Amino acid sequence: MRGLVLAALVLATAPLYADYTPFYLGLLTEVLVFGLFALAYDVLLGHAGVLSLGHSAFVGVAAYVTGILLARYQAPLEPSVLAGALGGLLTSLILGVFVLRKRGVYLAMLTLALSQVFYYVVLMWTPVTGGTDGLGNLPVLHLSAPLGWRLSKRPITRYYVIATVIFLAMLAIRHILRSPLGRAMRAVKANETRAAACGYDTRRIKLAAFAISGFFSGLAGALLTVVLEFVPIENIHWQMSGTVLIMALFGGTGTLLGPFVGAGLFIWMRDFVSKHLEYWEVFVGGVFVLIVLFFPDGIVGTLSRLSGRRRAVPLVEQSDRLPDPERLVGAAARGGSDERLLESQALTKSFGGLTAVSHVDFRVRRGELRSVIGPNGAGKTTFFNLLTGVLPPSGGRILFKGRDITGLPAHAVSRLGIARSYQVTNIFGDLTVFENVRIAAQSRVTHYRFWGSADRLAAVNERAEDILRHLGLGDKRVVRGAELSHGEQRYLEIGIALATDPDFLLLDEPTAGMSPDETQRTAAFVRGLAGRVTIVVVEHDMEVVMGISDRITVLNYGEVLAEGTPAEIRENADVRRVYLRD
Amino acid sequence: MNGCILILVALGLSIVFGLMGIINFAHGIFYMLGAYAGWLTVQLTGSFWLALAVAPAVVGLLGALVERGILKRIYGTRNAAFAGVLVTYGLAIMIPDLVRMTFGRPGKPFAMPKILTGSLFQLGATEVHGYRVFILLVTALLLPLLWLLLNKTNLGLVIRAGTSDNLMVQLLGINVARTWTVTYALGAALAAFAGVITAPLVAVAPEMGGLVLIECFIVTVVGGMGSFLGAVAGGLLIGETLALTGMLYDVFADVVIYLAMALVLLVRPRGLFGQEGMAEE
Repeated sequence: MRGLVLAALVLATAPLYADYTPFYLGLLTEVLVFGLFALAYDVLLGHAGVLSLGHSAFVGVAAYVTGILLARYQAPLEPSVLAGALGGLLTSLILGVFVLRKRGVYLAMLTLALSQVFYYVVLMWTPVTGGTDGLGNLPVLHLSAPLGWRLSKRPITRYYVIATVIFLAMLAIRHILRSPLGRAMRAVKANETRAAACGYDTRRIKLAAFAISGFFSGLAGALLTVVLEFVPIENIHWQMSGTVLIMALFGGTGTLLGPFVGAGLFIWMRDFVSKHLEYWEVFVGGVFVLIVLFFPDGIVGTLSRLSGRRRAVPLVEQSDRLPDPERLVGAAARGGSDERLLESQALTKSFGGLTAVSHVDFRVRRGELRSVIGPNGAGKTTFFNLLTGVLPPSGGRILFKGRDITGLPAHAVSRLGIARSYQVTNIFGDLTVFENVRIAAQSRVTHYRFWGSADRLAAVNERAEDILRHLGLGDKRVVRGAELSHGEQRYLEIGIALATDPDFLLLDEPTAGMSPDETQRTAAFVRGLAGRVTIVVVEHDMEVVMGISDRITVLNYGEVLAEGTPAEIRENADVRRVYLRD
Repeated sequence: MNGCILILVALGLSIVFGLMGIINFAHGIFYMLGAYAGWLTVQLTGSFWLALAVAPAVVGLLGALVERGILKRIYGTRNAAFAGVLVTYGLAIMIPDLVRMTFGRPGKPFAMPKILTGSLFQLGATEVHGYRVFILLVTALLLPLLWLLLNKTNLGLVIRAGTSDNLMVQLLGINVARTWTVTYALGAALAAFAGVITAPLVAVAPEMGGLVLIECFIVTVVGGMGSFLGAVAGGLLIGETLALTGMLYDVFADVVIYLAMALVLLVRPRGLFGQEGMAEE
């Protein structure tokens, strides 16, 4: 809040600090517009973890839409700017749908290549866009009645009007980043697989991030047309994407202020360094390489780290009330038959010539605690990956609550009430312990809501708080997940799975790497959950398996070798031969 | 002809991506530097044939230095793949300006070796130039050699193994660090070679790297990232499409290749010869 007031003050008084010529005032306005562009860009990079090299299309399409409406149709200013922003939004959706079939740097390359399509359209459509000459001949710009202020040749008026719009846009972006959707974006950035396992459709979350980024990039593009009163074709050339990337990284990704600082620095280099140094791009490129190598947090990020300011953590009221274990699980509406909550029929998975899971018939009763054991390579984890939609099966069916869920993606499986933990710890390392669990709990309430603060979802907060205290992690709530000890991370992992309020919980070696004490505690905790939630555990610790299981399934070479109560399994000759080896 | 150049440049891009997971934005720079190194060699010695050998060697060495000096710092850091894009992009901004500083802004004319000038024979309405046949032959000779290098030698085995599972190769006690340097240098040398043989057809200019880079992106997307066959097929396809539409209706040429790419992406997102799972992360 204090930062916002400060930002408003700086914006309001900036033109007073020096005796600006109209040229410099125009430059100041341009810095703000590029700052907004870089901030919009960073919504995608810094907050959703998607590297785009196609933002030239968003800003460029918007600049042209606004320019064409103004120059060719004499449209009023405000609707033209809005249409530009919507043009950016639409472009980002088109691009997003295409590129989100891929991830990481490959996606980045696709954004670049696809954005050039828009460049060539503009280049070829000369009668409308002006081609290489750019789009000029804009009319005198003025706001509509009742204000009616003229902006052309009035740098001060133009500055204040644009600064106001940009300040409002910044507020809106800040609001969205704190909304449930904004949090889901951060979860996707921190750990995409885990976010999907919590029920988030990560592709759609990223598409939403594209849309937000596209809309505000579009707004920046439209404002750029207002500032320059001209649309140069460079606006839509791919190097524009490189420019905004440099600005965002100079300032520091993941901050609100960084993009504006980065834009200022870049434009200073472009306009002032270039006066003294003809080959200023050597300078820009060099500084950029150094920042990437040595100051990946950018200027603002590095400064705020040096000054010791930690990232804000959500404030939730602490209460002394002990959580009611009944509230941890078992609240959701239940359906399907009790005898066959989950069933697999002839489930098979082959990787090339290797059949990891072969014709597994598996049936779990509601409320049961089932262990799946077997030697290394027996196909236990693959079996889990099939049940949770991480891998598509090569054959067979999976039924959950009587419904065929074969081939559903991981997030859809999670939403039906199946949660899991992983053999190798899989948490949101960059998020706080509290946020790890909160984001999972939020999944049952809302995914895409982009208004309202995520921290004010009272039921979600309460649930996260309950789970943390139950797992003994209450006092670690503001610590980053990655900073926890191994055992604590394993607890947190179970907590994330529980937070989605599953009816069916798959735990993949929950005690792996734990001390004997921790193992015992975990076993007791899992046993305590049994009855209220159906649990399937993969476990190597035989003592734990025999102690907590209702029934045990033994896998060997991908096939079911035996199934029965712990006593039966202990006596089973086959099992003794291949597995217990005595 | 165009296709041959694209194949050579795209191949380096694809191999480096396959092994190191880095989209090498500096790749176009090596192509451009190759042309300059070739030009300089011709200026000093007057021999085009010497330039063919010197440029790849010099630029390959430079590639090794870039890998050792700069890229090595980002391996193993968080988001190394992103950082690789960013660092090489920084180089791609810097180096053309450095070249402008050293050699001046205007392009340099690059004379064709005398023996290859003039037309060889008439093919329908078009004359077939000796130099174009030369490019075709050189590529036809080089590709099988490269294929052998990648498929039949120890180095190639390590590169291909590293492409599918880097950690495992390291665990086997193989010096992966050196393989990466060699691979990166090889990609740079290939681009440089392509740069030299293109040089007589265009003026040698600092900007030539940027254009070829984007076309190579399209080639690798269409053909499939990290695939040898993909780079060859993609290069031919895109190169010939460019040449054909260029002949028919010039302004459409660029648009058509982008549309081709969009089409491939829709129908087969991993590219024509890309492997499943490749380039996902």
